[in-house]
Amino acid sequence: MLPQINLRRVYLIARRDFLGYIKTWGFWISFLMPFIFGALAIIASQFDLDMDPVRYETILDDTGVHAQAIIDNENELWRDITDAIQNIPVVGNSKASKEAVQPKTIFVEPPSNDIEALKSYVKGEKLITIGEAQVRLNSATHIYEGPDGIEVDYWSTNISNQYAKGAVSNYFKKQAENDYLASGGLNSDGYADAKANAPVVKAFDPSKVDTGNQSGQAITDIDRIPYGVAAFASLLLWLTIFSGAYMLLTSMLEEKLNKLLEMMLATTRLSEIMLGKLLGIAVLTITAMLPYLLIGLAAAIMAALMGPPEMVAALANAITLKLLIFFPIFLVLGYVFYGALFIAMGAMAESMQDAQTITTPIVLVLTMCVMVVPIGFKSPDSPLIAFASWFPLSAPFAAIIRLPLDPPWWELALSASFLLVMSVGVIWLAGRIFQYGVLSGSGVKGITNWIGRVIFRRKARG
Amino acid sequence: MTQIPLSISNISKAFAGKTAVDDVSFDVKPGEIIGFLGPNGAGKTTTIRMALGLIKPDSGSVSLFGQAPSAHAFGRVAFLPEERGLYKKQTARESIAHMARLNGIKAKVAFPLADRLLDKYGLSEAKRKKNKDMSKGMAQKVQLLAAIAHDPEFYILDEPFSGLDPVNQQVLENMVREIADRGRTIIFSTHVMEHAERLCDRIILMSGGRKVFDGTTEEALEEAPRRLVIGSEDNRLKDEISAFAETIEAREDGALTVFLKPKAESHAILEKCVSKKIKLTRFDPKSPSLHEAFVALVGRDEAAKMSADVYGEDS
Repeated sequence: MLPQINLRRVYLIARRDFLGYIKTWGFWISFLMPFIFGALAIIASQFDLDMDPVRYETILDDTGVHAQAIIDNENELWRDITDAIQNIPVVGNSKASKEAVQPKTIFVEPPSNDIEALKSYVKGEKLITIGEAQVRLNSATHIYEGPDGIEVDYWSTNISNQYAKGAVSNYFKKQAENDYLASGGLNSDGYADAKANAPVVKAFDPSKVDTGNQSGQAITDIDRIPYGVAAFASLLLWLTIFSGAYMLLTSMLEEKLNKLLEMMLATTRLSEIMLGKLLGIAVLTITAMLPYLLIGLAAAIMAALMGPPEMVAALANAITLKLLIFFPIFLVLGYVFYGALFIAMGAMAESMQDAQTITTPIVLVLTMCVMVVPIGFKSPDSPLIAFASWFPLSAPFAAIIRLPLDPPWWELALSASFLLVMSVGVIWLAGRIFQYGVLSGSGVKGITNWIGRVIFRRKARG
Repeated sequence: MTQIPLSISNISKAFAGKTAVDDVSFDVKPGEIIGFLGPNGAGKTTTIRMALGLIKPDSGSVSLFGQAPSAHAFGRVAFLPEERGLYKKQTARESIAHMARLNGIKAKVAFPLADRLLDKYGLSEAKRKKNKDMSKGMAQKVQLLAAIAHDPEFYILDEPFSGLDPVNQQVLENMVREIADRGRTIIFSTHVMEHAERLCDRIILMSGGRKVFDGTTEEALEEAPRRLVIGSEDNRLKDEISAFAETIEAREDGALTVFLKPKAESHAILEKCVSKKIKLTRFDPKSPSLHEAFVALVGRDEAAKMSADVYGEDS
């Protein structure tokens, strides 16, 4: 029998919970976070602020052979990158695009021919002059003849950015490759051509429409789009449920610590309080995710307007009728299932520490459930994913990640029905724990004793 | 005929095998002010929770406005629980209006009502103050106003005086009188006898989960032993008055405390002393207190427990 509900009281409780969170600084900071980051990025670009400043490196080459070759290699590399980027159709500010390929590492002439003297520049005790500015040397690479051949020492106090070390290392590896090929009468250009002419493995999907020359059945990156969409939807669902359920826990705990529930229970049904909380936090969660949803929508519109037509078509095809129907169903059921569990746990807790202890197992399970996303993305036909779509704790996420395989309607409906039945059971249990937890105030031990006595009918002692 | 707000019949409740309420019955009639007395652990809060349907009795039955407690009574009862609080981030007017709205008052009415109540009880400056920023006394008054703003027929107040300073206790007493003057029915639990003596038409005494007394204040006082303090330098005094006394105790100041026999009267002792020409230095009949009645009804141990509750010697 369904519990009676007064919608006005449900609305009032939902409204109070929603406004209670909306009025906090924390909510607005997280709500505005994407816009704050966007604004910071714009400010950074306007003021030419750079995350990665230009660094000055030098090479002291005792052999006199390699330093210029290394610098020439680097210059050629950056020219290639610049050409490649400038060939891409540019949207918006083309100046910014060109600036983006300016090298961040500039090789300069060594200010001294003595490596010991160069160390002072690296340590910042002495500075080099670039234009009118006095700057510090990021590194000094010393190339010299050792007893067994060429030796290279890299000196720098910057252990996180060692671009020059990589550039020098790449140069010597490439040279070793050239020397080796030359010893057999070969050269690197020929080696590169040979690799480029190797047979390419073409992948086909026989379930795709054959356009006559098999090209229509070829598997491309675009074919992965439905899996990507399902993975994104599953992850979004998980994130929504997790954040919503956790807010329910803290909301419940707040009620308990504020000692208002007993007064409310004299004027409001338990079912109305629970439903009000579920709805209030659901609206709050959607509100909190609104910026991200808007940004996602904007990105999708941009992709549709500017992306390759085949990608747009694949995106449109990935949003199937099953996804449109079952995403909201599993979102609601998953939220209610986990929400009711977290409400019950909030009712059992008497402090935040209590709440953390009680929720640890369920949070671990919920965290494990998110693993169905990468597994399902890689192998949506995995038996583990099929099982997970029936297991109530993971069903919402696993059922969505399986959608690109086009599972039968009855299977999805049955999985949703099973989750619905489990959700009703969890709501019933949560309701009983909630009422006892609120009125007993006796914490976890009291609740476990009560579960033993009432749920499992263990005989009370004393 | 006006409906009886509350009727409790033979209710019992045990938690983990320990009896909290044992076969308690009473009716609350319209317009009564009832003091629900007893020390901590006497079963008052559990009885109140069963009366409201918050917990179910193991046996017996409860009738709230003629039916088992359920949604039909929402809005007809004001309940102030013993453990009470407020949403920290709500303002005082929001707290009062929120509870009033849950009790069926429309938003348009609830907020002006909250403002009026806050003005009336000297909390005008707290209207837009967040609850977390209020003093304990102010917060307690707001809790009470939130519970009673919808002005229902029946008030159930669980330890409304606890935690209030003497000034605010007086404010609350006045508030209870005003509610009673409007013809509302009130039952409030307390372990402070003085409040019950001053406010109640009727008292119900609980001890160890059982109801030990149910009657008017006057009837309760009749249960208390009547005392007389009498003093004289005449050595015959004790012998001459012993026929009137259950016991006679010597006081440090040399006078005697006489606990009168059930039918003995103070003026008969005075007449006897006059007839025997015993010159009295002191003649002081004492009015019985509710506390003395409680001692008589439940014994000194339970009474001591209640005193400890009042003066904070016990949690």
